[in-house]
Amino acid sequence: MGSLLNYIIRRILFAIPVFLAVSIITFLVTNAAGDPVQIVRLGIRNLNPAQLKAIQDYFHVNEPLYTRYFLWLADLLRGNLGQSLYSGSVAGKVVPWIGSTLELQIPAVLLALAIGIPIGIYSAKRQYSKSDIAVTTTAIFGISMPTFWLGINAILIFSLYLRWLPSFGAISPYPPWWWGNIYTDQLAHIIMPLSVLTFVSLAAIVRLIRSSMLETLRQDFVLAARASGISDFKVTYKHALKNAVTPVVTVVGLTFGTLLGGAPALETTFGWPGLGYEFVLSATILDLPVVLGITMIISAMVLAANIVTDLVYALMDPRVRL
Amino acid sequence: MNSKETQYTRRSAGQWAVAWRRFKKNKAGLAGLAIVASFAVLAIYGLLLDPVPARSFGCLYQGCTNLPPFVDSAHPLGTENSGIDVWNEIIHGSAGDLYVGIGATLISVVIGLLVGAAAGYRSGVSGAVLLGLTQIFFVLPVLVIILLFAKIFLFLVAQGLALSLIVLTLGIFGWPLFAFIARGEILRIRELEFVQAAKSLGASGSRTLFRHIVPNLLSPIIVLSSLAVAANIITEVVISFLGFGDPTTSTWGLIIQEGFDHIDSSWWVAFFPGIAVVICVLGFNLLGDGLSDALNPRLRE
Repeated sequence: MGSLLNYIIRRILFAIPVFLAVSIITFLVTNAAGDPVQIVRLGIRNLNPAQLKAIQDYFHVNEPLYTRYFLWLADLLRGNLGQSLYSGSVAGKVVPWIGSTLELQIPAVLLALAIGIPIGIYSAKRQYSKSDIAVTTTAIFGISMPTFWLGINAILIFSLYLRWLPSFGAISPYPPWWWGNIYTDQLAHIIMPLSVLTFVSLAAIVRLIRSSMLETLRQDFVLAARASGISDFKVTYKHALKNAVTPVVTVVGLTFGTLLGGAPALETTFGWPGLGYEFVLSATILDLPVVLGITMIISAMVLAANIVTDLVYALMDPRVRL
Repeated sequence: MNSKETQYTRRSAGQWAVAWRRFKKNKAGLAGLAIVASFAVLAIYGLLLDPVPARSFGCLYQGCTNLPPFVDSAHPLGTENSGIDVWNEIIHGSAGDLYVGIGATLISVVIGLLVGAAAGYRSGVSGAVLLGLTQIFFVLPVLVIILLFAKIFLFLVAQGLALSLIVLTLGIFGWPLFAFIARGEILRIRELEFVQAAKSLGASGSRTLFRHIVPNLLSPIIVLSSLAVAANIITEVVISFLGFGDPTTSTWGLIIQEGFDHIDSSWWVAFFPGIAVVICVLGFNLLGDGLSDALNPRLRE
């Protein structure tokens, strides 16, 4: 257990330089857009000199770039994300949407795992059978589809043609609620984005489990287990799966990152009030402090997901802890 | 000496011939190749012959806006709200999207191979640095950063250049995976018996690297490239769909966005270009899978 604790500490220490590097890159990118004063001027034509001065002072426009970075970083570490270029604080614009993004992402990953692992195993056990071909064909179509386009088709069919489900938002702004009350209304809103997201991540997980399982089933220890008379079920689910699933853990960690990063298009399609949608809205009007805040929050979430993934990996495979 | 040299050349050519023979048997891989080739033809047709200019609003004055598909043979897939022909946009979009997909992948491969080879050849500190760098790129919400870049580029520079800048950005953010794979493969191959044998026969360092290590390194890189083109095309479609792309160049994402704005009146504008995306990306994915089967027979049977 000592080695595991050691591993956790090392992993978290390693995350610090990564986080700093990410913060430097995002800060530089957002600053490439130029002077905040100029951007505000695109929206508000007649700033009076006092307002101009206030904006310049607030964003430390006259300081060199590295000073601005450290001032921003110091604020960030104190939990202060700063002010939006337009109105309100960044935190006020961003924090409320973290929950609704996770509300969509976490169930999607869990559902995809719960459905994908059995399908992947089933498909690997019957390689080149009709059902395997059906599964692999569906899966390769799944990974070849932009998530948002699948979402558009779902909206076409279920909202515009059949009129079964709402196409926009996480909740109706006012009654009548879908299917009776406020809870079923939320359920009706989440069904389509959640299914689309699950299907796309499912495709990736099935392909991964299948190929990993195929490779594992061919190894000597599986043959040895079979030779010693252990039942097929036990060999598959106990001996082989344990080994086949470890590489999948890493990829699921990465998938989560991609899902969060891929959220902008899906959330925009469904008008889902999450971080990705807020990002698109803010970036479109070049509200850089908000954009910077969202990028850092998503990075921190991905980093946390990666650490959790690595821990799960270390628990499953003791060799990693060394 | 001479006969040995020819024998060697024949065998090394044989390696690729064997792979091709294996690839030919793979129907899915061949289908992928055919799809990719057809899109390349479509893109070249659009670029060279250019029968109808991209994003032409001609229909606006002839009263054929918002035309449903399969009605008018001049506009087989219908027209958009402002008279843009959907099929024509698919043709011109394939040039744009292949440019982004392949161009960005080439940049990633070149940077990735150079960095990966440098790190693999001198393991130790550089290996740890590379590992740290790839970690950073895994954590960075790359799509979000690329969207930001695209937006800023569009804000700062001439619009005609924006697509090339997206290629550059995607390429720069795509290399770490290639470097990671290249380094791992070099570390592995370097210790294999045939490399040791070549070295003990007196092969020079560069000969060992280019004749023995690199050809074996290429197969995972080729497979990964095909999949990376697919991923880059999807990213480009997302960028244009969200309105962060170049509004003056035809891409599939742009016309899907226009279709989505009028989704309740003309479904075909978002639907058909999306089909083009799916088929093209599927082609590159099938090609990648086929190449993987052909180049790594270990995984087959």
